[in-house]
Amino acid sequence: MADEFPFEISPMFEGERIRKDGMFVELAGPKSKGFELVRAADMDDVEDGRFTLIGPDLSDMEEGSRYPLAMVYKIAGELVEADLESIVERRNHEFQNYIQGFMHLNQRDDVWMRVSKDAVEKGMTSFESVAQAIMMLFKNELPFIEAVEAIYITDMDEIEKEIENARAVYKGRDERTRDLHDEDVDTFYGCTLCASFAPTNVCVVTPDRISLCGAINWFDGRAAAKVDPEGPQFAIPKGDVIDAESGEYTGVNEAAKRLSSGEYDRIKLHSFFEYPHTSCGCFEVVGFYIPEVDGIGWVDRDFAGTAPNGLQFSTMAGQTGGGKQVVGFLGVGVNYFRSPKFIQSDGGWERVVWMPKMLKDKVLNDIPEEMRDLVATEEDAADVDSLRNFLKDKNHPILERWVEEEEEAPEEEEATEAAPQAGFAAPQMQMPTGGFMPSMPMMTGGGSGGVKIVLKNAKVSIEKVIIKKQD
Amino acid sequence: MSDIETGKFSIDELENVQITIGKIVGAIEKKAKEEGVEVGPTPKPGISGLRDWDHKLLSRYQPVYTPVCDQCCYCTFGKCDLGGNKEGACGINMEAHQARETLLRVITGAAAHSAHGRHILHHLIDIYGRDKAIDVGPSNLVAPNTQAVTGIKPETLGDLEEVMDYVEEQINQLLATVHAGQEGAAIDFESKVLHGGMLDHVGMEVSDLAQMSCLGMPKSDTEAPLVEIGMGCIDSKKPVLLVIGHNVSGVTYIMDYIHDHNLDDKIELGGLCCTAIDMTRYKVENGGQPRAKVIGTLAKELKMIRSGVPDVIVVDEQCVRADVLEEAKKLSIPVITTNEKIMYGLPNRSKDSAKDIIEDLSTFKDPGALILDYDTLGEVAPELAIKMSKIREDMGIKALPSDEELQGLSEKCVQCAACEMDCPANLPIMAAMKAGVDKDFSKFEELHDVCIGCGRCDQACPKDIPVLDMIEQASRKIIREEKGLMRAGRGQISDPEIREEGVNLVLGTTPGIIAMVGCSNYPNGTRDLYTVADEMLKRNYIVVMSGCSAMDLGMYKNEDGQTLYEKYPAKFLAGNLINVGSCVSNSHITGTAIKVAAIFAQRNVSGNYEEIADYITNRIGAVGVAWGAYSQKAIAIGSGCNRLGIPVVVGPHGSKYRRALIGKPYDEAAWKVYDARDGSEMPIPSSPEFLLTTAESVEELFPMLAKNCIRPSDNNMGRMIKLTHYMELSQKYLGHMPEDWYKFVRTETDLPLAKREQLLKILEADHGWEIDWKRKKIISGPTMKSDVSAQPTNVKRLCKGEC
Repeated sequence: MADEFPFEISPMFEGERIRKDGMFVELAGPKSKGFELVRAADMDDVEDGRFTLIGPDLSDMEEGSRYPLAMVYKIAGELVEADLESIVERRNHEFQNYIQGFMHLNQRDDVWMRVSKDAVEKGMTSFESVAQAIMMLFKNELPFIEAVEAIYITDMDEIEKEIENARAVYKGRDERTRDLHDEDVDTFYGCTLCASFAPTNVCVVTPDRISLCGAINWFDGRAAAKVDPEGPQFAIPKGDVIDAESGEYTGVNEAAKRLSSGEYDRIKLHSFFEYPHTSCGCFEVVGFYIPEVDGIGWVDRDFAGTAPNGLQFSTMAGQTGGGKQVVGFLGVGVNYFRSPKFIQSDGGWERVVWMPKMLKDKVLNDIPEEMRDLVATEEDAADVDSLRNFLKDKNHPILERWVEEEEEAPEEEEATEAAPQAGFAAPQMQMPTGGFMPSMPMMTGGGSGGVKIVLKNAKVSIEKVIIKKQD
Repeated sequence: MSDIETGKFSIDELENVQITIGKIVGAIEKKAKEEGVEVGPTPKPGISGLRDWDHKLLSRYQPVYTPVCDQCCYCTFGKCDLGGNKEGACGINMEAHQARETLLRVITGAAAHSAHGRHILHHLIDIYGRDKAIDVGPSNLVAPNTQAVTGIKPETLGDLEEVMDYVEEQINQLLATVHAGQEGAAIDFESKVLHGGMLDHVGMEVSDLAQMSCLGMPKSDTEAPLVEIGMGCIDSKKPVLLVIGHNVSGVTYIMDYIHDHNLDDKIELGGLCCTAIDMTRYKVENGGQPRAKVIGTLAKELKMIRSGVPDVIVVDEQCVRADVLEEAKKLSIPVITTNEKIMYGLPNRSKDSAKDIIEDLSTFKDPGALILDYDTLGEVAPELAIKMSKIREDMGIKALPSDEELQGLSEKCVQCAACEMDCPANLPIMAAMKAGVDKDFSKFEELHDVCIGCGRCDQACPKDIPVLDMIEQASRKIIREEKGLMRAGRGQISDPEIREEGVNLVLGTTPGIIAMVGCSNYPNGTRDLYTVADEMLKRNYIVVMSGCSAMDLGMYKNEDGQTLYEKYPAKFLAGNLINVGSCVSNSHITGTAIKVAAIFAQRNVSGNYEEIADYITNRIGAVGVAWGAYSQKAIAIGSGCNRLGIPVVVGPHGSKYRRALIGKPYDEAAWKVYDARDGSEMPIPSSPEFLLTTAESVEELFPMLAKNCIRPSDNNMGRMIKLTHYMELSQKYLGHMPEDWYKFVRTETDLPLAKREQLLKILEADHGWEIDWKRKKIISGPTMKSDVSAQPTNVKRLCKGEC
C-alpha cells in the first residue's frame, strides 16, 4: 500500500529515534536554523499539490552534515480560517514522524529534523516525496483543507529572510490565544471522546477552559468540529449568559442535560462549589475543599504524599472521577491554572491555600504576584493546624472569610455560600477507619467504659471450647 | 485433660466473662455502608452467583474440545471410552468430561496460588500481626480483584484471612463437583471453570498484597531496579546457593542471614522460577539493590542442577521438579525442603540445631533435610553452601561429559527416534548425534535455546544416552554468555498512573495492552517473546510481563547490547514495558482492568463483579499471551482473565489444554449488545473473537493481537489506530491484507490515515459501499454506526429504565 512513496508511513514509526551514526543529514535544530509554518490563504493563491524547493535537495546534500530547513504550507478551503493554522501546523510534527526514516522534534522555530541513511538508500532522495506525503495526510485528516501547497527552504539566506516573518505570525497567534476569552466567542465546544470510558462525562471546552485531560483546547475543538460536525467534538452554542462570573450559559446547560442523559442540567464553568464541571478520570490535578480554613487545596498526580487533610491524591481522585459532578472536589488540567477565569466564582487564587511544591513551581508565573508567597506547600504545612498558622502568618486573604464567618456566626450557623458544601465535603475528610473489629465494644467484667451486658435467663451456646492450661 | 462434653449447660453466675465475637454475618455490607461504599449484588458469590454472566459469555464464546484422551479413568466402573458420543458408566459424556478435566486443572492451579497465599499470610501475620496495614503504593483501590469478588476492602493483613476463607471454601465446593455423579452439563462445568479462574486471581492478589506490604518489595515502582539474569551471571567460583520455587517466606531468612553476616560478596545466591523474581523484589523499595540473581525459568532447572555448579539447593513450592533430590544426589548437592508441599521423603530436622544439620548434610549422612523452622533454615543454607563448596571442590565433582565423551556418546546413538518422538518440541536430536560422531557439536548448541529442559529425551533413550547433558556441555560457551537484565517486579499499577495514561487510553492513542504471561514451554525458544514484545512496544502498545515470561524477555539484547527492559521505560504509558512481578503478581494485570472501570466510569467495584466484567469486555482493549503456558496455574490465570472478558492466546502447546473458547464471527446474532442509554440492541464488531485460543506461530499471533484489542466502544481515533496496526501486522507477517478489515469500519475516520483514499476505493469496488468522493465520506455500507456516547452492555439490568 501507499506505493507512491519511497518510504513507509505508519504511526509505528512515531517513536523512531535517528542517532548520529544512522543519520544521513540533520536539518534545522539548535545548531542551525529553520521553522515550520502553516498559513491560511485564498483558494486562488494556492495551487493544490504544488511543491517548491528553495535551496539544495536531499540528493545534493553531503552525508553526515547539517542544513537549515523551513517548511511552509499554504492551505485553502471554504472552511479554512487563520484560527486553524496552529492546529494544522502541529500535525506536521506528528505526520513527519509517521514517515520511516524521518525524525521531527519540537515545533515552530525550534524544529529539529533528521533523515536516516536507510531512508535515503531506500529512495528518500527528495524533499518533494516528504512534502507530498504530509500534504496527503493533512487532507485525509482534515478534509476542510481543499487545497494545499508546500514550500521547503534549505537556503540559509532565504530562511533568515523569512524567519522573522514566521516569528511575527507565532507572536500574533499567541496574543490572539491569550486575548481570546469566553466573552469573545459565541460558540464553545463539547468533547465526548472519553465518553466511551466515562459515559456521563460532559467536557466543555472554552477559550478560558481547556479540557480536563489537557489534550483539547478551544482551537482544537473548533478544528475538529469543522472536520466532522457530528464527530466527538462539536459546537455548543453559548446561548444566553446566566451568570458571567461563575460561567453559566443556557447553551451549556442544555448540552449538559442532553449529553449526560438528563443526569446533570446545570454546569458552571468557573465554579468550584456550585454545579461544578464534571470530572472524568484523566484530570491532572484534583482540587479539594478544606472546611477548617474555608479554602481550596490542589494536589496533582505526581505528588505521592498526603495533603493537609490527611488524604492522598489517589484517595481524593477516587471520589472525584467517573464523569460525575462532585461538590467539594474538582478535577482540572494543569493549564486551567493559567486561565484568567480560574475558579473566579469562588474567589480565584485568593481562595487557594495549598499546593504541592512541584505543582506550585510549575504554575508559579501564572499565580498573581501578590499571592505567590501566600499559597502553602507541603514544606509549609503538613496538616490543617500548621496550614491555619501559615495562613495567619502570611495574612492570606482567606482570613477575611474567617472574620466574615465569625461575625455572621450569631445570626447564621455558617456562611451561606459554604454551608451546604461543607456538609458535603466534611464526611469525606474522615480518615478511613482502621478495620471493623477494633470498633467493637470491649466487654470487660466490671470495668468502666464499653458496654455493660446484663445476662438474665440467657442461653449461651458455644461452638467450640478450647481448653488451655492455666498460666 | 478435661471432661467437658458437648450439650447444654446452665450458668448460674457470670463473673469476669469475656465474649469474643468471631464473625458477624452481614459485616461486609455494614462496614461498606459505614464507609459510604455501595455493595453490589454479588459479594462472595457462590458457584451459581455469576452463572448468568458466564452463560452469556459462553453463548458467544462456545467451548471447543480437543481431547487428548477419549477415556475417563476416574472411578472403578471405568475406564470408560467416551468416544463416538458414548456415555460413561456414570452417564457423563465427552463434553462434560473434558470440561471437568479443565475444571480440575483450573482449581488445581487456583489452589496452588491460594495455598501459597494462605501460607505466606499465616507466616507474615505471625511476624507482623493481624493489624499490619496493607501498603501497596499510592492507590485508593488496593485490592481490586478481592474487592470486586468479595466486597471486602482489606486494610490489614487480618482482613485478608476472611478473603482466603472465602476462596478456600469455594475451591472446595468446586473440587467436590469433579467427583463422579455430580455435574452433568458441560456448560455448567465451564461456568465452574470461570469461577475457579476468578478465585485464582483473588488468591494471587492476597499473596502479593501480603508480601508487598511486609517484605519491602517495590510498590508500583516505575523505577524498580534492573536485576541480573541468566545462567551466565552466576560466578561458579564462589559457593553457590540455588533456590527453586515460588514462595519466599523462608528464603528471606536466608537473605537476611547472608546480609547480616556480611556474606553478600562471598556467596552466590541464585533463584529459579518465581522465587527468583520475588527474591529480587525483597527489600528493594526506595532504591534498595537486589540481593540475589535470577537464573531463569523452569526450563533451566534441570540444566542448572546438572551443571554441578550449585553447592546447596533449597526448594519451596510449585514448579519444582519432582526429581530434584535424585538429580542433586548424583552430584553430591544437599537439598533442603522448606515447605510442607514438597518434602521428598527427607527427615524433618526443623527442631534440630543448625550445627547438627550442617554436620549431617556435609558428611552425606542424609542427602537433604526438611527444615520448617526458618531461623534455622536461614543459617543452615548459606553456611552449608560455604562448607559444601570446599568439600565438593575437593571431591572433584564432575558433572557434564567432556568433549571426548560427547563423541563417544554420539556413537552410541542408534537413530531410533525415541527421543524426538518424546521431545515436546520434537527437536532434531538425531541429526545432532549424527554430526557429533564427526566431532561437530554445533547442532547440539543450536538445540540449547529451543530446548525446554524437561529431560524426557534421557528417559526415552533405550541406550541411556544423557541427551540433555550433551546439549548443555556443547553449549558451554553460549551458557557462559547468558547474561541479561530484568526489571524487578514492580507490583501494582497505581491509580495515579492509570489516570495519567487515561488520556491515551481514552483518546485511543494507546492501541492496546498486551500482557505476556506464563511459563516457558515455548514452541520455538525464548526469542519469540523478544520479537513479539519489541514489535508491539514499537507500535506503542503497553506490554506487561510477569512470571517466567518476564524472565525470558530479559535474556535477549538488541544490536546496541540492550535488553528491552533497558530500551523501554517502565511506566504504565503507551510504549512502555512493565514487569509486575512473579506468578501471583498476575492479579495486578486483571486488577488494572478493574481499576480502569472504577476510575473512569466510577463503577462501584465492591461485590459488583458482573458489571465490572461487562465494562471491561466492552471497553478495555487488552489481550493476554501465554506463549509457553504449561501449568495448571497458567490455565487458572487465563480462566480468571476470561471471566472478565479478557481474551487469552496460548502458544501451540496450549492446545493440550484440550479446550478453546471461540466466537463465530459469521453468526450475527451473537454480536449484539444493549445500549445502556435506552436498552435498545446494537450490533458490535466480532472482537474479541475468542476468549481462549491457540496460535501456531508468532506470525499468526501478531495480527491476532492487534485485531483482538478492538472493542465496541472504540472512538474513531482509537479504531483507526487499532485497524492500522491490524492491517500492517497482517501485511508484514502474513503477507496479505486481513480479509475482514472492512467489518471494523464504521466511518471514513476509522480508516488508517495514510491509506484512506486507497481503502475507500477498495470499499467501493470490492464491497459495494457508496462513497461521496468530493467529501471523501462513506455514505452507505457499514453495518455499525459510530457513536462514541453509546454505552454497550451485555447485561440488561444495567440499562436505563431497568432495575
